Amino acid sequence: MRSVLTMLGIVIGIASVIILMSIGQSAQDLIVGQVQGIGSNLIFVIPGGSNNGKFSSPASAQGIVITTLQQTDVDSLSREPSISAVLPEVRGQAEVVYGDNDVTETYQGENANFFAVRDFEMAQGYAFTQTDVESFNHVAVIGSDLATTLFGANIDPVGKMIRVKNTQFRVVGVLVKKGTGPLGVNQDDLVLVPLSVAQNQLLGITYFNDLTIEANSQYNIDFVQTRISSILQQNHGITDPNKDDFTIETQASILSILGTITSVLTLFLAAIASISLIVGGIGIMNIMLVSVTERTREIGLRKAVGATERDILQQFLIESIFLTLLGGIIGILFGLVVVSLVYVVATTFSSVGWVFAFPLSAVFLSLFVSTAAGLAFGIYPARQAARKNPIDALRYE
Amino acid sequence: MNEISIEVKNLRKEYQEEEAPTIALSDVSFTIKKGEFVSIMGPSGSGKSTLLHILSFLDRPTGGSYRFFGRGIDDMTDIELAHVRNKQMGFVFQSFNLLSRLTVYDNVEIPLLYSDIAPAEREAKVREAVHSVGLEEKLFIEAGKLSGGQKQRVAIARALVVNPDTIFADEPTGNLDSVSGAQVMDILEKLHDKGHTVILVTHETYTAEFADRIIRIKDGTVESDKAVEKVRRSKTEFFK
Repeated sequence: MRSVLTMLGIVIGIASVIILMSIGQSAQDLIVGQVQGIGSNLIFVIPGGSNNGKFSSPASAQGIVITTLQQTDVDSLSREPSISAVLPEVRGQAEVVYGDNDVTETYQGENANFFAVRDFEMAQGYAFTQTDVESFNHVAVIGSDLATTLFGANIDPVGKMIRVKNTQFRVVGVLVKKGTGPLGVNQDDLVLVPLSVAQNQLLGITYFNDLTIEANSQYNIDFVQTRISSILQQNHGITDPNKDDFTIETQASILSILGTITSVLTLFLAAIASISLIVGGIGIMNIMLVSVTERTREIGLRKAVGATERDILQQFLIESIFLTLLGGIIGILFGLVVVSLVYVVATTFSSVGWVFAFPLSAVFLSLFVSTAAGLAFGIYPARQAARKNPIDALRYE
Repeated sequence: MNEISIEVKNLRKEYQEEEAPTIALSDVSFTIKKGEFVSIMGPSGSGKSTLLHILSFLDRPTGGSYRFFGRGIDDMTDIELAHVRNKQMGFVFQSFNLLSRLTVYDNVEIPLLYSDIAPAEREAKVREAVHSVGLEEKLFIEAGKLSGGQKQRVAIARALVVNPDTIFADEPTGNLDSVSGAQVMDILEKLHDKGHTVILVTHETYTAEFADRIIRIKDGTVESDKAVEKVRRSKTEFFK
């Protein structure tokens, strides 16, 4: 019983490491999958420089309003042969109201080609057209979750009027369920309205929040990226590339940044979890020291009948490693159960599209760490046992 | 039969203490031949246990010389001493020193775990040793569940299992009733008859007289070293 309780520290420590590493891996797989889902030929232009390519987010991503992306940029980029589409976007947050139901959601102003380029399909109704955009028509396409929130299950949203930022919009379409997008944005809660209406009437601005650019598939993505840089530098009068007032992100660069973030996060969490391993290891050392004291006469007897110091050292080290390794195996199994439960809960109650991950590297690392903990925390008690004088040990009461 | 197994010359043992060294043994000299049954007697604190510890390689002397089958203790490393204890010496303690949660089998097997004997051979040796003390039917009983006499017989089986040249018995009947004590002495006597050297430490005269010879220790020195007159009485009579 005492050994089981002592082992609990190792069990919890290993289980924590396993759970955090598995969940970290799941999150990484999920995010990578979602970023890959946006298409490898898309390039994003965000206003604000990115500190000369060093790991730092552009100012616009930190909430600072930057007005450098203008219609002239869109026009120039649209003329570039290596670019097949340019999607200028604006976005804001507003109360979205239908009848007595109101929720605060993100609305986006888009051109009509947004739906094709970003692969957003309609579950009901139709996507607004470029004529709607050019005519400043108050039409909206909404996400499926928002449709349910505002209209419930029994009312067809198409043709109904909703209020966004106190402006009436006619719902013309409902999007097919798409789940959470890159960076955790729920794409099923969106309100999409014509770019012209959002920019001029809802926000009253002349700039864009970002540009999504579809590269012409006949061109290399790096070449397209270079072309975009050149065009924007020329438009913005920038001669020193280190002083760019925009940041260009591709799928590969986003994946790289996200991969770094999730890896660092996973390692950080695993490091915190390993503290409990140290606590567990100290528990093992404590119980082994008690065991050595309690078994003093046994040690004396074993030495009397021929055990060497090395034999006694080995015996106690093996016992210590057995305890921690068994704790580690139980911890791995416990971790597997928790990770499976998280997967079941996440897939049952959320549309996130959680990915099950149980990295073998975490299992091997746990087994290695358990053995190492047994060795590290067992060596002192084992040496104490091995060095006992047989006569004193035999006389111990 | 005349081979000398133990040769002690001017043996001395001091314990360093804060004020002055305590002399436990001083100028102790004797020889013991292979196959002899010798009792070491003396009152409490006389140094007889210290002498036994040195003779059984559990402790080293601080002066003089001790040779066991011609090998000097000073020339041997701790590991070599452990090997000699394992292969050539058997131990029987007053308090048995059995591991109570282990079975009789497991207890008797302990010395073999530190030798290079194969598992199959180990089993045969354990069974033979347990048979020789008449406890075959208790082979897989936990040692803690045995009576005092049975425990001491298990301890003797453990001492015998490596077929040692010399058996050191430290007050083997001290914790036993008269019947169990008689059985234990009977077994030791039989082992002597089979050619084992038996060295018995006791403070009881009637137990000591089972031996061929009694070395009396007093205040750390040999007071007398005499052969025992062989008038054997029944064992139960001794323990009455």
